[in-house]
Amino acid sequence: MNYTFKWSVLWTGESGRWLLQGLLTTLELSALAWVLAVALGILAGALRTVRFTPLRWAATSYVEFFRNVPLLVWMFFWYFGVPPLLPRGIQDWLFNHGAEFWAGMLALGVYHGARISEVIRSGIQSIPRTQFEASVAMGLTTFQSYRLIILPVALRLIVPPATNESLNLLKNSSVALTISVAELTFQTRQIETYTARAIEALTAGTLIYLVLCLSIATIMAKVERRYAIPGLIARVGPAA
Amino acid sequence: MEATFAVLLALALALSSAAPALAQPDTLEKIKSSGVLTIGTRTGSPPFAYINKNNEWVGFSIDLVEMLVKPSVEKAVGRSIKIEKKESTPPTRIPLLTNNSVDLIAGTMTDTPQRRESVDFSLTFFYTGAQFLVKKGSPIKGINDIAGKRIAAQQGATNAKILREKYPQAQLREFPDQPAAFQALVQGQVDAYTNDGIQLYGLKAKAPNPNDWEVVGDFYSEEPYGMAMRKGDTKFKAAVDAGFKNGFESGKYFEIYDKWFGPKGELPYPMTPQVKAYLLKQIGK
Repeated sequence: MNYTFKWSVLWTGESGRWLLQGLLTTLELSALAWVLAVALGILAGALRTVRFTPLRWAATSYVEFFRNVPLLVWMFFWYFGVPPLLPRGIQDWLFNHGAEFWAGMLALGVYHGARISEVIRSGIQSIPRTQFEASVAMGLTTFQSYRLIILPVALRLIVPPATNESLNLLKNSSVALTISVAELTFQTRQIETYTARAIEALTAGTLIYLVLCLSIATIMAKVERRYAIPGLIARVGPAA
Repeated sequence: MEATFAVLLALALALSSAAPALAQPDTLEKIKSSGVLTIGTRTGSPPFAYINKNNEWVGFSIDLVEMLVKPSVEKAVGRSIKIEKKESTPPTRIPLLTNNSVDLIAGTMTDTPQRRESVDFSLTFFYTGAQFLVKKGSPIKGINDIAGKRIAAQQGATNAKILREKYPQAQLREFPDQPAAFQALVQGQVDAYTNDGIQLYGLKAKAPNPNDWEVVGDFYSEEPYGMAMRKGDTKFKAAVDAGFKNGFESGKYFEIYDKWFGPKGELPYPMTPQVKAYLLKQIGK
C-alpha cells in the first residue's frame, strides 16, 4: 500500500480546535442523553416490577418499542418526524436554536433509557421478594420501599452492565452526525475534507473515543468497589 | 454505530498499512490478473451515478468508465475486463482507494489541490460550480442573501468548506448524504441546500414535484470533476487519461454527454462553449 502518513495535519490549521469542539459536543450530547436515559431507565425498570398491571404494561411497551427500532431511525424520527407536528413558528425557532442537537439528545436518551431499564429491572429482580415484603410490613408505602430499600440496593448491583450501556451510549452519539450534529466523528470527517487525510483524522477520532471510554470504565470500576455492599455482593473485583 | 465502526476500520487500516508501505501501486498488474476494474461510485447522485427506477446502477460517470476508460484499460492489459461497482461517499472514497478496495473513483469528485496530495486525478470530465436549491419564491437568490439563513450542505463537499470560511454569517448544517439534506430542505429544517449546480438540477428533476424548486445564484466556486486514482500509479493514470483523450478526440465523449445532458437526455444541461473549450484545452486543442 502506497501511503505516506502525515500526522501533522492533526495539529496544524484548525484541526485541533475542531477536534476539541467535536469532543465537547460529544460529551455534552452524551451527558444530557445519559441523564435522560438513566431517569427513564429507573422509572421503566421499576415500573416493570410493580404489581399494578397497567403500569407494568405501559413500561413494557416503552421498552420493547424503543429498543427494537434502530437508533438511526430514532434520530430521523426526532429530527424529521416530530417538528412537522408543531406550529410553523415554533419549528422555525427550533431550527434556529439547535434542533438537531436536541433531536439527537432525545433519540439517544430515549433509546438507551429503554435498554438501561432492562439492566435495572434485572437488578431489582435479583433482590429477594422478602425484602420488599419486609419493608411494606414495616409500614413503608410501595413508593417508599422502592426509593429507600429496593433501588439503592439494585443500583449497586448493576454497576458493571450499566457501565457497559453508558459506554455504548457515548459511542452511539456518533450516529447524530446523520442529522448534522457536529460531534467528534463529524469533526474528524471535517478534517478529512480539508486535508484529504482520512486515515490520520479517523485515527485521531478513534484514540479520543478510546481514551474517553477507558476513563469512564476506570471511574466506574472505582464506583463499583466503593459502593459494593459487604456480604451482599460476594466477590468484588480486585483493585486494578 | 456505523461511524464508530468506520473509525475502527481506519485504525486497523492505519496499523496494517504501515508495514508494506514501500510497494509501488500497480493497478494495471492487478487488473490484468483479476480481470476486474473496481470503481467507487455513488448511488444517489443523478445523473452521474444513481440507482434508476428499474433498479439499475447507471449514470454519466459510469458510462464514461464503460465506454471510454474500459476499452483503454483493456488495451493496456491485453485482455477483456469487467467493471465492478462499489458505493463510495465523500468521506470514504479516498480511504477506499488507498486500501485497494477500489481502483478508480468515478462519481462526482472535485479535483482540488489538497486532494492531489493524496490521490491523482484523471483529465477533467465535467465542469460545474456551486449554487443553491430553494423552494420557488424563496428570498434567497444567491450567495449574497444567505446571511443568517440555515443552509444545508453535503459533508465532505468543497462548497461546505467555502461557506464556512467565507460566509460565516450563514448557519451551516452538514448532512452525510444528499437525500438527508434534501429532506431537511423539503421540511423546512433549512432554507436552502447548496451543492454543485449540476447536482442540484439532478435532484430537482428527480423530486416528486420538480416545479416547486429552483436552482439559484451564480457559481460561487469552481468544481472540475475528475476520476481519482492511487497516487503515483503513472501507468494506470496514462491508460485512464488515454481513454478520455480518445473520447474527446473521437467525439464519443460528447455523444455520452448528449445522452445524459442533451435536450432528450436524463437532465437537459447544454454544454456552454466555455466548458467545451476548457475540456478540449486539456488535450491541447
